Amino acid sequence: MDLNNIAEEFSQCNKCGLCLASCPVCRELLLEKYSPRGKIQLARYYGRGDLELSDHFREIFERCLLCGACSITCPSGVDLKKVFLEMREKISEHRDLHAHIKSMVQSLAEYHNISEEENEERGEWRELLKEIPDHMYEKDRAEVVYFVGCVSSFFPMVQGIPRNLVRILDLAGVDFAILGGEEWCCGFPLLGAGLSNKMEELKAHNLEKVKALGAGTVVFSCPSCYGTWDEHYGTDLELLHSTQLIERLIRDGAVTLREVKAMVTYHDPCDLGRGGGEYEAPRAILKSIPGVSLVEMEKNRAQSVCCGGGGNLEMADPKLSRTVARKKIEQITQTGADTVVTACQQCIRTIKSEARRQKIDLDVLDITDLVLRAIGPS
Amino acid sequence: MLSEAIANELRAIVGSNWFLDSPEDLATYSYDGFLPEYKPDGIIIPENREEIAAIMGLANKEKINIIPRGAGTNICGSSVARQGGIIMAFHRMNRILEIDRENMCAVVQPGVVNADLQREAARFRLMYPPDPASMFVSTIGGNVALNAGGPRGVKYGVTRDYLLGLEVVLPTGEVIRTGGKSLKSVTGYDLTRLMCGSEGTLGIITEIILKLVPLPTSKATLQAIFLDVDHAAKTVSAIMASGIVPTTLELIDKVILDVISDYGGASFPKDAEALLLIEVDGEEVLVKAQGERIEEFCKERGAIEVQRARNAEEAEMLWQARRTAFGAVARLRPNILVEDATVPVKRLPDMIRVIMDLAEKYGLRIGVLAHAGDGNLHPLIMTDLRDEEEMARIDKALDELFEAAIGMGGTLSGEHGVGIAKDRFIDMEYSEKAIEIMRGIKRVFDPNNILNPGSFL
Ligand SMILES: Cc1cc2nc3c(=O)[nH]c(=O)nc-3n(C[C@H](O)[C@H](O)[C@H](O)COP(=O)(O)OP(=O)(O)OC[C@H]3O[C@@H](n4cnc5c(N)ncnc54)[C@H](O)[C@@H]3O)c2cc1C
Ligand code: SF4
Ligand code: SF4
Repeated sequence: MDLNNIAEEFSQCNKCGLCLASCPVCRELLLEKYSPRGKIQLARYYGRGDLELSDHFREIFERCLLCGACSITCPSGVDLKKVFLEMREKISEHRDLHAHIKSMVQSLAEYHNISEEENEERGEWRELLKEIPDHMYEKDRAEVVYFVGCVSSFFPMVQGIPRNLVRILDLAGVDFAILGGEEWCCGFPLLGAGLSNKMEELKAHNLEKVKALGAGTVVFSCPSCYGTWDEHYGTDLELLHSTQLIERLIRDGAVTLREVKAMVTYHDPCDLGRGGGEYEAPRAILKSIPGVSLVEMEKNRAQSVCCGGGGNLEMADPKLSRTVARKKIEQITQTGADTVVTACQQCIRTIKSEARRQKIDLDVLDITDLVLRAIGPS
Repeated sequence: MLSEAIANELRAIVGSNWFLDSPEDLATYSYDGFLPEYKPDGIIIPENREEIAAIMGLANKEKINIIPRGAGTNICGSSVARQGGIIMAFHRMNRILEIDRENMCAVVQPGVVNADLQREAARFRLMYPPDPASMFVSTIGGNVALNAGGPRGVKYGVTRDYLLGLEVVLPTGEVIRTGGKSLKSVTGYDLTRLMCGSEGTLGIITEIILKLVPLPTSKATLQAIFLDVDHAAKTVSAIMASGIVPTTLELIDKVILDVISDYGGASFPKDAEALLLIEVDGEEVLVKAQGERIEEFCKERGAIEVQRARNAEEAEMLWQARRTAFGAVARLRPNILVEDATVPVKRLPDMIRVIMDLAEKYGLRIGVLAHAGDGNLHPLIMTDLRDEEEMARIDKALDELFEAAIGMGGTLSGEHGVGIAKDRFIDMEYSEKAIEIMRGIKRVFDPNNILNPGSFL
C-alpha cells in the first residue's frame, strides 16, 4: 500500500499509549480511534491491507489538530504528525474531501487565497494605517519581504497584526516591502488537506516574486506560513518569524521600549513552538518590555496545548474546535492573567471568538500589539 | 461472532452511540501495550453500574465474553479479546465522586485517570501515592485490576495498600460491595484485596474507595554514581537498614547510562556502572537531615559522584536521566520488551549479574532499570519483533531469567501482571494446588467463564 516512508514509524510504536495524555482531541472524543495511538494503528492496519479508506476513516483523520503534541510526548520517537499528514494525502487520493475543504481548495486555485476574494484585496489592511508612504510598501527592491499570509490579510479580526508589524518595522528603520496582490497563499492549508501536490505553482510564484525584489530575508507574522516556507520551499533565503526579527531589533537597540503595565500569559502557537522550535524569542520580547510581567500556563513551551485552530479542524468539526478552545481559555484564566499574548493570527481568532461566545472577559493580543504600545509615540 | 439480535440488545442498554462495531473501532480496541492483537466482536461503553449489570446479565445468559479495558496501557496482554468477545471500556465513567478530607479518602469511578486524581487530591493537600509511570494515561480501574505500583512504592507501597473498598458487578450481573471508608476491617474474607490484581477476571469494578495521605511538604533528591553495581546495591541495603525509608530508590545500569549519554540526555563518567536516584519526603527538617545522611552513605560506599538537589529545578534535572531512560532505549531498536522480575532487595546485584550474563550468552542487548528499593527489576530488552531468530534467543533467555528470579525467592512480575505475557511461567511460581484454588475462585465468581477468559488460569 505504498506507505514506505512512514512504515518505520509504525514499527517504532510499541502501543504504550503515553501519547494519549497530550492529545486535546481524544480527551474530548474519548474513543481510542481518535487518539494518536489509535490513528497510528489505523494507518498501520491500512498499510497492511486490513482496512479501507472509508468515509469514517477520513472523518477520524480529520479530527486532528496536527498540533504535534503527541509527537513530542512519544518516548519512542514516533513522528506521528508525519504519519497523519501522509494519511491525509492517501485519503485525499481516494475519498471525496469535506465540502468546506473542497471549497477552500477551489478558492486557492481561482483566487490564490483562502477567502474567495480577489487577490488584489490582500492589501486592504493598509486602510487601518493613519499614515502610509506613497509606495504603500509595494516597492521595487527591499532587503526584507514581509509575507503577510491569507488570514491576516482577509479576516478583519486580525488585520491589526500586519498594521502593527509594518509600523514596528518602519520605526526600526527596516528596509522592507510586501508583495500585495502578488502574494499568493503559501500552500499550508493544502498540506492539511492532503494535497501537497497542488502546492507547486504557489511555491514557485512566491519564490519568484520575493527574488525579484532582491530580498535576502522573508519575515512572517504567521507561524504556519513560516513553517511551510521553512519545510517545503527549499530556499536559502533567511526566513524569520516576526518574533525573531523583533527580538533581534530590540537586542540591536533599533527600537526602545517604554513601560507598559500588564500581567500577561503567553500562548505558544503549535507551528511556532513545536513546529519551529521557537519558544524563547517571544518570551525575550515580553521580558524586555518594562512593566510587563509574564506568568506561565501550567503547560507551556513544548507542552503547550493547541488553541483548537489547527489542522483545518475548524472546517471539519467546528464544534470540536470550539471545545478545545474553551479548554485552552480555562488554562489561560487559571494563570490569573487577564491578558493572553500570542504570536499567531489563527490562535487569536480561535481564542478570541470563543471567549466572546462564552462572554469571558479576556484580552487576546498579538505580541505586536504589545510591542507597538511600548515603542509607539507616547 | 455476535448476532445482530444481541448487538441490538446491547445497543438498547447503552444507546446506539455507545456500542461500536465499525472496522475502525474493532481495529483500535484490538491491542493494549503488549504485543499480540485480537480483534474483538464489538466495544461497549457503559455509563453506570445499572447498564453494566444489564450487560453482564445478558452476556452471562448468552455466554458472550466480556473484556474490561481501562486505557489499554498494560504490558501483559490483559485487556484484549484473547478468545473473542466484547471489550467494555470505561471512558464515560471517569468522575471523581468525592474527596473526603476528614476521612482522608477518595471515591472514584474506574475510568478516572490516575494523574487526574493526583491533581484533585493535591488541591486538598492530600496525595494518592501509587504513581505508575503510565499515570498520565492509565486508569484507576486498570491500576486496581493490576495492582499497579510506581517509583514512590518503596515508602508508600502499591495500589493494594490504598484500597479501602469496591463496588463490583459480577459476571452474573449481581452487584456486591466490599470494604468501605473505615481503615480497619476484619469482617469476612478480604474480597477487596482479592479483586486487586485480579486482571479483570473476577468482576467489573464500578466504584473504588481509596485511602489518601497528607501531601508531604518537603522533598530531598539525590543522585549518586558508582563504578561497581555491588557498591550501589550495598548503598541501597545500607539506606534501607538505617531506618530511613526513602520514597524512591531507582537504579540505572551501565548499558542504559551509555544509551542516555549517546542520546544526549546527560553525560556520565565512562566507567560508571550504576546510578542511584534517591528521594525522601516528609517534614522539612527531617528531610534535610535524611538527605545529608544518605549523601554520606553513598560516599562511604564508594560513590564517585553525589549530587543533592538544592531546589525543585535541580531535583527535576536529577530526575531527567530516569525519565529519558525509557525513551532513549526505545529509540535504538524498533521494539523494546520490558521485563518485570522481582527479587528480595538483597539479591538485586546477583540478579543484575544474571541479566548481564544472559545478555552475553544469548547475544542480546539488555539494559536494567530497577526500582531498587523493592527489588523490582525492569530489564529492557532491545529487539526487532520481525527478527524471529533473535526472538527465539530472547525466549530462552527469559526462561532462565525467571528461573533465576524464583530461585532467589522472587517473583515473575513485580507490577506488570501475568496476562498472556507470562502465563506459561506461572507454574514456576505456584504449585498445582495453589493454581487449582485460583481456578476454583474464578469458577465461583464466573461460572460460565465469560469474563476476560484465556488469562493466566
Ligand atoms: C510506559 C508504561 C509505563 C508503565 N509503568 C508502570 C509502572 O510504573 N508501574 C506499574 O505497575 N505498571 C506500569 N505500567 C503498566 C500499566 O500502565 C498498568 O498496569 C496500569 O495499571 C494499567 O491501567 P490501564 O487503565 O491502562 O488498564 P488496562 O491496560 O486497560 O487494563 C489492565 C487490566 O485491568 C482490567 N480492568 C480495567 N478496568 C477494569 C475495571 N473497571 N474492572 C475490572 N477490571 C478492569 C483489564 O481487564 C486488564 O486486565 C506501565 C505501562 C506503560 C505502557
Ligand atoms: S496532532 Fe494533536 S490533535 Fe492530532 S493526534 Fe496529535 S495530539 Fe492529538
Ligand atoms: S507514545 Fe509513541 S510508542 Fe507510545 S503509543 Fe504513542 S506513538 Fe506509540
